Amino acid sequence: MSPVVQSRGKKITAADNLYTVILAVAFLVVLATAVFVAYQCYTQYDTIFKIQ
Amino acid sequence: MSTLTKVLIVLLTLASIFLCGIVVTYVANADNYKQKYDKLFDGYQSAKENEDNATTRLNNTIEEKNRDTEKLKEQIASLEGQIDKLKGDLANAERERDDANRKVNNWAAIVMDFSKTIENNEKLVKDALTERDLKEAALIKMDKELKDTTAALMENMAIVKQLQDESKRLLEEKTELQNKLDLYLRQYGKAIAEPMPVTPEQEVVTLAPPPKDIDLSGSITEVDMKSLLAEISIGEADGVREGMRFHLTRGDTFICDVVILDVWPEKAVGWLDLLQEEQPQVQPQVNDRVSTNL
Repeated sequence: MSPVVQSRGKKITAADNLYTVILAVAFLVVLATAVFVAYQCYTQYDTIFKIQ
Repeated sequence: MSTLTKVLIVLLTLASIFLCGIVVTYVANADNYKQKYDKLFDGYQSAKENEDNATTRLNNTIEEKNRDTEKLKEQIASLEGQIDKLKGDLANAERERDDANRKVNNWAAIVMDFSKTIENNEKLVKDALTERDLKEAALIKMDKELKDTTAALMENMAIVKQLQDESKRLLEEKTELQNKLDLYLRQYGKAIAEPMPVTPEQEVVTLAPPPKDIDLSGSITEVDMKSLLAEISIGEADGVREGMRFHLTRGDTFICDVVILDVWPEKAVGWLDLLQEEQPQVQPQVNDRVSTNL
């Protein structure tokens, strides 16, 4: 996970694991949002998808 | 990994974070419609129950009002009947009041007349009592004179008796002397001359005509024992005069005398004399007989 030290004279770039972490963060954010929305639906309507 | 992929990853991540932030913000601030629905539904149910209760109460109130209306109609009819009856009673009471007022006026007039009559009667009684006192004084005086006269008469009677005895004795002596004188004179053929009375003969006395009875009779029409006054049914037209004395009898019983005080053409009023107050059964009453002669 540590950044890869490129050879001298080349442009420094981030490792691929960094983008994996960014994707994981995005996934967690989406997942947390989905959980929060589900929790709100359940607490307010006693169900997640069913329409009474 | 290509640069495009990296850029897309970064953009995807930013977009995800942005959209997720929007969603979270929206969901967090969204209204709780179920809660609102439940609240509104509970309000609807309670309102419906209130409506039912209000309808029930309204119906009960209407029924009660109808019953009260019927009762009030009956009471109104009953009260109208009572009003009619009370009007009739009021009219009767007013008539009775008018009659009573007329009677009161009549009685007031009668009482005033009676007061005047009582005043007159009191005056007459006073005069009669005064006259009675005078007559009682005269009667006492005459009684005293009668006693004196009776005493004098008794003395004179005794003297007359004594004189009669003496006259009888003298008459006997005279008869004896006449007999002796007759015997003496007969020897000489003489007789005694008729004696002449010494006292002159008395003249013949003419008797006065006997008193004539007035013979008035009537009946008692009114008696007032308090003032000892009585009214008789005959008056001046029948020959009644003030001062006349009538004898009041019932059957064969003598009650008292009525001395006339005041005379009208058809009636007369007098005060009761010689009344025997110790015997209530022989008190004068209406329709008792009065007459001047027993």
